[in-house]
Amino acid sequence: MSYSKENVESIVNNGLSRRSFLKGLAASGVLSSFPGGILQANEDLNTKIPYLGQKSYQTFRNACPRNCYDTCSIKTYVKDGVMQFIEGAQESTYTRGGCCVKGNSYVKRVYSARRLKYPMMQVGGKGSGNWKRISWDNAIDIIAKKLLEIKKEDGTLLGAALTKYSGNFGITHYGIEGMFNSIGYTTRLAGTPCWPAGIDAQNLDMGDMWCNDPEEMKDSKFIILWGVNPAANSIHSMKYIYEAKKKGAKVVVIDPIFTETASKASQYIQIKTGTDGLLALGMAKIIIEAGLHDQKWLDANSKGYKEYKAYLDKEIKLDDVAKTTGIPLAMIKELALSFAKAKPATIWMGYGMQRHTNGGSMIRAIDAFVAVSGNIGKYAGGARYGHLSTWGFNYAALSQPKPEGSVGYSGPEGAKGEFAQVGGAKAAYTDRFLNINKTARELLNAKEPKVRLLWVACKNVFAQDFDRNQLIRAFQQLDLVVVADQFFNETAKWADIVLPVATQFEEYDVNVSYWHYWLSLNEQAIKPLFEVKSDLEIAAMLSKRMNQLSAGSCTFPQSADTKAMMVKEFNPGIYEQFGIKSWEELKNGPVKAKAVIPYADGKFKTPSGKFEFYSDKALELFGSALPAYLEVRKPYDKFRMTSPHSRWSLHSQFQNLEWMEDVHPEPYVYINPDDAEAKMVKEGDTVAVFNKQGLLRLKAKLTDNVQAGTLLMYEQWYNNNIYNVNELVDDTSSDMGAFKTGAPGVALHDTFVNFRKL
Amino acid sequence: MQTIQPQMISRLDACKYLRDIFNAQNSKALKKAFDALGSSITISEEELEVTFNRYFVGPMEPVADPFASVYLDNPDVVMSQSTLQVRELYETMGFTYPLKNVIPEDHLGVELDAYYQLLYLEEKKEITYLSELRHYFLHEHMNLWVPRFIEKALRESEHDSKAITFILLQLKSLLIRETTTQGVTA
Ligand code: SF4
Repeated sequence: MSYSKENVESIVNNGLSRRSFLKGLAASGVLSSFPGGILQANEDLNTKIPYLGQKSYQTFRNACPRNCYDTCSIKTYVKDGVMQFIEGAQESTYTRGGCCVKGNSYVKRVYSARRLKYPMMQVGGKGSGNWKRISWDNAIDIIAKKLLEIKKEDGTLLGAALTKYSGNFGITHYGIEGMFNSIGYTTRLAGTPCWPAGIDAQNLDMGDMWCNDPEEMKDSKFIILWGVNPAANSIHSMKYIYEAKKKGAKVVVIDPIFTETASKASQYIQIKTGTDGLLALGMAKIIIEAGLHDQKWLDANSKGYKEYKAYLDKEIKLDDVAKTTGIPLAMIKELALSFAKAKPATIWMGYGMQRHTNGGSMIRAIDAFVAVSGNIGKYAGGARYGHLSTWGFNYAALSQPKPEGSVGYSGPEGAKGEFAQVGGAKAAYTDRFLNINKTARELLNAKEPKVRLLWVACKNVFAQDFDRNQLIRAFQQLDLVVVADQFFNETAKWADIVLPVATQFEEYDVNVSYWHYWLSLNEQAIKPLFEVKSDLEIAAMLSKRMNQLSAGSCTFPQSADTKAMMVKEFNPGIYEQFGIKSWEELKNGPVKAKAVIPYADGKFKTPSGKFEFYSDKALELFGSALPAYLEVRKPYDKFRMTSPHSRWSLHSQFQNLEWMEDVHPEPYVYINPDDAEAKMVKEGDTVAVFNKQGLLRLKAKLTDNVQAGTLLMYEQWYNNNIYNVNELVDDTSSDMGAFKTGAPGVALHDTFVNFRKL
Repeated sequence: MQTIQPQMISRLDACKYLRDIFNAQNSKALKKAFDALGSSITISEEELEVTFNRYFVGPMEPVADPFASVYLDNPDVVMSQSTLQVRELYETMGFTYPLKNVIPEDHLGVELDAYYQLLYLEEKKEITYLSELRHYFLHEHMNLWVPRFIEKALRESEHDSKAITFILLQLKSLLIRETTTQGVTA
């Protein structure tokens, strides 16, 4: 036989010759002569041609777990064990067959050449870039020994800290906290950088954070999208907004930035940043004076309306409202009155608005306005912020007992974190809590015992936390930093050990949303690539090793099957709420929770059982019982800097992938043309943006979508670029957050900077 | 600019040791295969591995990814069309791959393994049944991407790491030798 292309192609492609070729191969004894390496002789040659069974698509159910309002239900197409493409599940009326560009790129994420592939150890010191491959056993052994050493030397495990956040909101991912629960009392970076001030505000007003089903918005008669940009960040919600608009509803966007959503609205109102609370108070005053408030509802369902009204009468001057917010009084009046006249009417508040030193008070003021207008507890109404009402799982992976004799911290007790409010998550912790929004400082300052080991999961600390220089110092002083991730990001760069973790297509999990009402399954659709493991498997391996080294030192199950763990998360309550009998039904597609209108029965979970304009708890915690106007932080530099989400990323996820890099390859600072002109900056010039915290150099884009006096830069992480907008953010707290999530939020948008042309 | 060192080892051994280098899972295995290639470079196990990882493994973005698909299909993605073509070729060659859907079939170490085993059949066992596929695999697959891989990594290694340069030049020399070797047995 001599080499000819045609001949080989006919063997490879042509059914008949391939069959005879393979038969010949099996018969000739060649197979037994292979020397053997990675590839093995296939004694079992499949001569059935064509390979129909192997080559057709299998489908699996998945969901996007990466902290997006939409939490899409996904259908995954797999051929011969390889993911080919995904689509949004048709069964979910919310996802309705579509995903965003990020979701559609999942195949590229899973098969990205940049994924972490093996456990590795940085041998030349943190940041040296000298990495050795280590086996899983070896990696786990090092970590287990370090934990036991800390326990022996300190008498507690408080020297071991966990920081985990929103890289994967799947329910079984609380198994990471479970892993830390199972070794003893430890240190946790507690709180949430995202939405804590608003969570507190809504809990003070209504005793819960619970919003109406977004699908109802199609029947709203008036929608205010207040500081929220669904056209970029919750695209599936837009269809309900469009539908309402088509049916004659007015859609108003109030935002300091002219966003994608603003361009689709009936009206856009540009407000001066941080004055939203005052606008809401002014609007409430206007409708009360016009007699358009819902007195009946207020009498039956609220507490402190009198005090609130007295405050409005005395303190809120409409001319000042117009001046401070930058919105003409006539426009404010028109907005307030038409909102009050339209029934049902609703307001959706974004998470950016509460990222101010007065953020919680602004959410409270807007809640109060919606309440006064009589739209709370109504179909297609509501003061929408988010909800956890479909999160009543068992948290079986989370709830692990402490090993016998565990010694803890005699400080504040109680589970913290925004999801601690739901389900069976309430363990009697005496862990030590450090403020997640001041990670660098807290790690550096923690004493007795100091933090020696840090575990990072579902989180890119360097992209999401503040003050990079301090963070580097904090990481460097730790004995051992373990980063479990899918990609090599800046946090991994400062780790001692990196552990490659599975994507949601390589494990089982279950997902619900903090916005819509759907429940989706994540099935394992493909084998884990390279040596990646799920977070649960990692926890199980650690448990096994710790128990080998010191029996009884870890209570986490010593073997973990992500499917079995997921099954344990279900309970009759969940089945009842979603109208299913078994989790297996989710294989047919996602299901939706039975329709409920939050607070329709007038029952609130506040101390008074009513909507609280006047909150004793607020007085006790934050010094103001009423949603009184609180002035925003005073500028400490020339320009305000705002750092919203971009369409191309979810916090720091996705932007490092090809499709997103194609359209958005590098960071820009968006500058109003007037400001640019004053500094002689032209489109495309490189500028330095700086303040007392740090300095960034990046290219300018000129746009009057941002107000004069404000610079906009997206929060993001780019491959091969150390840009991180948080380098300019100091970690000043917002007014609320500590009540429900353990730590206040960060006043991200109260950052001030200056800039110059380079 | 270094020149290719004269071949001291057989083509079969060169192929085997290069395969073992790219498949090594730890410093020891890597160093053993590296030494077997006959280099006179002195380098510690750890230094060799750390450098090798920087070039070909990660965890940071490697200098050159050792996957065919990255050169033939899409620089950012593994497990794509070329991978599946190679998968099919292996099946036809009579191989089964225990790491199917775990490590893509077009990883250089796996391809060198396939090539080595086919060559072994011919040289040691005088079985030529698969030589046609071996040539096809070499000329119409490996030779389309491995030179690009070598070139990419060499660009950096030539002023940075003698050890990596040595490995790459051995690989280059193997490829040249194999693609220019005449006399396919009938
Ligand atoms: S990022 Fe959001 S919109 Fe995009 S696929 Fe995921 S859940 Fe859906």
